[in-house]
Amino acid sequence: MEERVLIEFKDVCKKYAQGDREFFALKDANLSINEGEMVVILGPSGAGKSTLLNLLGGMDSASSGHIFFDGEDLTTYSDNQLTKYRAENVGVVFQFYNLIPTLTAYENVALMKDIKSGTTDPKEALAAVGLADHMHQFPSQLSGGEQQRTSIARAIAKNPRLLLCDEPTGALDTDTGKEVLKLLQEMSRSKKRTVVMVTHNSFFADIADTVIRVKNGGIRSIEHNDHPKDAEEVNW
Amino acid sequence: MLLRKMWRDLSKNKAQFISIFLMSFLGMFVFVGIDAESSGAGESADSYYREYHLCDLWVMGAGFSDDDLRLAAKVKGVKNVEKRLSLTGTAEKTDNAYMYVNFMEENDINSLMLYEGEAFDGQKDGFWLEEWFARTNKINIGDTFSIKIDSMKIDGRVRGIVDAPDYVYYVSESDLMYPNYKKCGVAFMAPGMYPDAENIVYNQLLVDIADEFSSEEQLSMIKRKLENRFDRDDIAVTDRDQNLSFATFDAEIRQHKAMGAMFAVVFVAIALLGIVTTMARVTAGQRIQIGTMKALGFSKAAITLHYVSYGFVISAAGCILGAFLGSKVMPAWILSMFEGSYLVPDLSGQVTGLDMAVTVLAIFVSTTVSFLSCRKELKDPPAVTLKPPAPKKVRHSGFEKSRLWLRLDFSTQWNIRDVMRNKLRSLMGILGVMGCAMLLVCGFGCFDSIKGLMDKMYGELMTAKNKIVLSSDADADYAYDLAVRYRGQMIEEKKVEFVSDTAKKSGSATIVDKGNFIHIQDRKLNPVKLTDKGIAMTSKMAGLLGIGVGDRIRWHFVGDDKWQNTRVEQIYRDPSIQGITMRKEVFEEMEYTFKPTAVLTNKSVDPSLSEEDEVSTVLNIEGMKAAFSETMEILNAMVYVMVLAAVFLGVVVLYNLGVLSFVEKTREVATLKVLGFSSPKIRQILQKQNLWLTIIGIIAGLYAGWGMLYVICTTVSDTLDMFPILYFPTYVWSIGGTFLVSVSVNLLFSGKVKNIDMVDALKGVE
Repeated sequence: MEERVLIEFKDVCKKYAQGDREFFALKDANLSINEGEMVVILGPSGAGKSTLLNLLGGMDSASSGHIFFDGEDLTTYSDNQLTKYRAENVGVVFQFYNLIPTLTAYENVALMKDIKSGTTDPKEALAAVGLADHMHQFPSQLSGGEQQRTSIARAIAKNPRLLLCDEPTGALDTDTGKEVLKLLQEMSRSKKRTVVMVTHNSFFADIADTVIRVKNGGIRSIEHNDHPKDAEEVNW
Repeated sequence: MLLRKMWRDLSKNKAQFISIFLMSFLGMFVFVGIDAESSGAGESADSYYREYHLCDLWVMGAGFSDDDLRLAAKVKGVKNVEKRLSLTGTAEKTDNAYMYVNFMEENDINSLMLYEGEAFDGQKDGFWLEEWFARTNKINIGDTFSIKIDSMKIDGRVRGIVDAPDYVYYVSESDLMYPNYKKCGVAFMAPGMYPDAENIVYNQLLVDIADEFSSEEQLSMIKRKLENRFDRDDIAVTDRDQNLSFATFDAEIRQHKAMGAMFAVVFVAIALLGIVTTMARVTAGQRIQIGTMKALGFSKAAITLHYVSYGFVISAAGCILGAFLGSKVMPAWILSMFEGSYLVPDLSGQVTGLDMAVTVLAIFVSTTVSFLSCRKELKDPPAVTLKPPAPKKVRHSGFEKSRLWLRLDFSTQWNIRDVMRNKLRSLMGILGVMGCAMLLVCGFGCFDSIKGLMDKMYGELMTAKNKIVLSSDADADYAYDLAVRYRGQMIEEKKVEFVSDTAKKSGSATIVDKGNFIHIQDRKLNPVKLTDKGIAMTSKMAGLLGIGVGDRIRWHFVGDDKWQNTRVEQIYRDPSIQGITMRKEVFEEMEYTFKPTAVLTNKSVDPSLSEEDEVSTVLNIEGMKAAFSETMEILNAMVYVMVLAAVFLGVVVLYNLGVLSFVEKTREVATLKVLGFSSPKIRQILQKQNLWLTIIGIIAGLYAGWGMLYVICTTVSDTLDMFPILYFPTYVWSIGGTFLVSVSVNLLFSGKVKNIDMVDALKGVE
């Protein structure tokens, strides 16, 4: 398979002002992610994982450096361009699902039609995550795993080139978490989508094509896994 | 999908949104309703005046000949002039009702509008009677009717039932404020009906001005020209604003507009506060959802539009529905009460451009307010919005550092902080309570003020039980005999015209003989003794003329060409009769002859007395009072509206406030519960705050209600000098009523404290 670089970070810094002091959430980060890869960003809390993910998803802007997506420099984008970038290219799966509580599972997914044309049919997307039977229930009527699967259905319904997952199993038990992981791995393997997952759980490193380890706001290592495990095989 | 989300969010927060809806609804309902009513009534009156040629100027004097008529007609801008003899008398058949009697040949000015019978004809005999008077006294076409004018008696048959544009409102000289068309009427007839027809002397010229000369400047120029043309001291030229009928109706409409605007301001202000607090809470509560939507790729504009549409949908629904229903219901209702007070035909409501503009403006402002209140959550990048908000920076106020603070118990400290951190919410609560108290105070105050006015007129300023009104047949000796017989006080009442540097006004003069039935009060309503050095003037008249004590005023009695230039020695206040009062001695010093027009007495009057030619009528104070209170329907209705609105306002605002603060405090209450506070104790803490806000609101409401009452009293009319009065029971009712509303709404919420599930409430976000 031809390796094609989808994302590239060049000397990316993210600073926050804390009182009079400046504080680096991310410092001089350099990395590249190929299209269709399954990437796991690993690190303890406060290491800068979420900052990395936010920058990838265009949800925050870098203080310095350059972020390229398919050759385009995101750091030069205006707010509106970033919004468009998110709408067109990025799907996000949150730790706490972040479904709109007043909309049913189906409606939460159908919401994507409002922002992008050419989305997958919500029924199909929900069927793909195994929720065909619960489509018309409200988030509060669904279990955590079902909610997370809804949130994945919502993310993939857009057919995004980049699927970002922030601790997608963080609020789930092991078995349910595994199902979710399996779903994500499938997205990358069979649908050739780039999946970037942030976690503090080092067991997940085994299923990734690439593992990026973060600590204290810096990238400590980037490893490539030639033979990633299947999601079912992971235990934690 | 977002639309669906909106509907579900709206129904989830229905209590608050319904209250916003109701507030915008009520605000527009009352404003547009009253405005449509007053504009429509104004328009109906205007077209009536136009179509039936209400005269623009009245020239009044001792006598006008045909030459005078031609003289007036020659003034540039004058379209038409007619002469008329206007007198007052009594109608025997209708229990000696007070009658305005008009003799005229032509009727192209102040044309009579025919209801029944035949059109007015200056050559035919018979009476044309005002419709309402005829109807309430069950007088029909062809009935015989007779009028006594002083010693003259006129008999005839009723030829027509009519309405006259210069008599849309009239009162007898004894009923000062409210008309009683059973006991007071208007009759029109040809000069041939006058007993001494050959020697009839007309005392009025009715002047119709051409439309192109109707501007205020041109009108006053024509007024001046007419005065110069006649060059006689015995005439007075008055315009529509000085005409009781026109001015009273005009003032009524202006008063309605003022009240409508005040209602609307209160309700819309509260609706806006409701929108601010509710939208702020909704958007703050949906912070994570907003962040999610942003992260999903919704543009800021789309999200903003989504949240702004909440405010828009609610306020638009409320305002438009309110405006629509208001314009249908209110005019019909209020105008139905005009019947029997204002005799304007075809009264109907009319929606004006202003109504639509205000409705649109209210929707626009509400939408803008909801935009501003949710903008805060939208300005950060999604990465920030996805996180729970940073805790508010709470600075300790100076008070919190003081020693006193430390001495306060926990519940007081907690409540003070809660109020300080939720200023808008607290403000809304205070305003709601204030509005409630204000409307109650003002409503009951209207009753009080009318009662106060009545007590003042017939009990403080005039203390006699009976007033024997003399006819022009009575001479001074007759009056003197009566005064001796009944141990009464003689007075003379005359019409006066005043001229100051800035204004020209007509009013009345009361000349009092020795006695103890006429009293005066100074500006502050303290009884004072009438000066024996010169004239005393009412404060309202002095204000209109722009003069004070020590200033000189030029005046003369209407019908007398001798002018006086007198120093005003004293200013006094009178609610109903504007003009001057002086002692008989002062009057005689000016070389006038005292010719009493009435005798006041406390003794019971022989009923046969009113049969005598010299006596016009005998008025009984209690009767006057009773008749007076009977005829206050419009005011009563206004008061009911106010009281109803007050209670409604209080319930809706406090309920909304309760929901808001309850939802916001759920976690805190749960925490307190976990800490071991008992439910009653927590309820006590929560109620403390409501108590404070209620008390502050009530205090503010008392002042605001007084202010509103003041505005209403002062806009009543130019000739009335009403003082706002609040009696003790009003305070009790207003404060008690507001408390009752506040406490009962709060009890509703306090009950919920018990039901808060500690575990549930303290669970994580979303």
